[in-house]
Amino acid sequence: MNELIVFFRNNSKWFLFIIYVVISCMLLFQHNPYQHHVYLTSANAVASGAYSLSSEVTSYFNLREINADLNARNAALQSEVVNLREQLDVLQEKNFTDTMKVDSTMQHFEFIVAHVINNSVSKPYNYLTINKGSNDGIKPEWGVIDQNGVVGIVSNTGPHTARVISLLNPNFRLSCKVKNSEGFGSLVWDGSDPTVAMLEELPRHTIYHKGDTVVTSGYSAVFPPGIPVGRVISDNRNRKENFFTLKVKLFADFTTLSNVQVVVNNYRPELKALEAGEKEEEEENIKNPFKQ
Amino acid sequence: MSKTLVNILLSILLLVPIQAIIFNNLILFNVAVPLVFIYVIVSLPVTLGTNASLTLAFITGLAVDIFGDTQGVNALACTLLAFIRKPVYHLYMSFDDDLAGMRPSLRTMGYAPYMKYLLTMTLLYCFAVFAIEAFQFRNIGLMLTRTVCSTAFTFVIIYAIDSLSIRQRNREKKL
Repeated sequence: MNELIVFFRNNSKWFLFIIYVVISCMLLFQHNPYQHHVYLTSANAVASGAYSLSSEVTSYFNLREINADLNARNAALQSEVVNLREQLDVLQEKNFTDTMKVDSTMQHFEFIVAHVINNSVSKPYNYLTINKGSNDGIKPEWGVIDQNGVVGIVSNTGPHTARVISLLNPNFRLSCKVKNSEGFGSLVWDGSDPTVAMLEELPRHTIYHKGDTVVTSGYSAVFPPGIPVGRVISDNRNRKENFFTLKVKLFADFTTLSNVQVVVNNYRPELKALEAGEKEEEEENIKNPFKQ
Repeated sequence: MSKTLVNILLSILLLVPIQAIIFNNLILFNVAVPLVFIYVIVSLPVTLGTNASLTLAFITGLAVDIFGDTQGVNALACTLLAFIRKPVYHLYMSFDDDLAGMRPSLRTMGYAPYMKYLLTMTLLYCFAVFAIEAFQFRNIGLMLTRTVCSTAFTFVIIYAIDSLSIRQRNREKKL
């Protein structure tokens, strides 16, 4: 027994070294970003406090570009509103009798405005931190967009801050399609250039041209359909394979992110319940396929 | 001894937030990242026990990971760096000097040995960090570019910090 204690004491540095390496590796290889403990992310109180302080100063630096972006977006939305209003007038005249008022509480998507207080673009797995958290109603797996396009998806929430998996993170795959065509694929970042991502698994029959806009498909409960993501820049079709991979230049400028909106999907609980029910049914069918 | 420990803890408390808020955003051409907080580990007293330096380095790395959302990358690299710190130091300095409580710096080691020591430590750390980060990308070219550029950038900044502290000490002596 004594010898054992002496052995441990003499080699304590090796044991300590191994313990620390094992702890680090456990953190390192925990691949599901939703399972990270909130204290070990930038959404914890100390880190988010420091970032809030620094972002109070630095948030003024990019205001000029952000203003220009907002003005452009505003103009686009204005013209869309005018067009839609005209259409609505025409349609209301046509079938005035059977038009029902849409209840505003049944709105599908709502948006919560938040401010980015920490951001990175050069790491292999990038995250950003926003200044709204569970006290403001933010929940994990909600989408985040800015005035230009998709930004990411919430992974951990503290009381006043939340950590967002950036689109520049290979853990995040986004279901996308080329605008005005039907085939959809999944957008994923390849880890090198923070302005370019890959649209993978696009079916071979999809028609696209260089410069086409890529938008969200709306096949997940996270993002509404039609949110702009980027523009197709590559034009190399590999005829031998059944799926295309396109290079997409992202609209959102991740180096100057400032104000973002968190997407709230009011139908999400319903959708989740439905999908969970489906899964259970499938599993039952696999277990005893001759039940009928 | 307790004074040195307080000094080390203060430097950790100072350098980790500075790293998180300033240096993590100071990335040149998307390849050169200044990892300045390793100054804490580089300047740990030579006589400090391996257990203590391992623990301090692990805590520093974990703090930087929490701020930077890198989950264990810096904690692992810092532990490795603290483990090989003494062998690297004795590559350039002999064992027979009086080392009690000495912290490696320009003043205590002299120009050439300190530059060699600092360059070796920075290079090893940057290589460790980018190798761990690049685990699943297999983009060796980008990883090596990042290692070399970040080593150069980090080396210059730490060297500047160290020579600044020398100047301050000289001024204190004159007064």
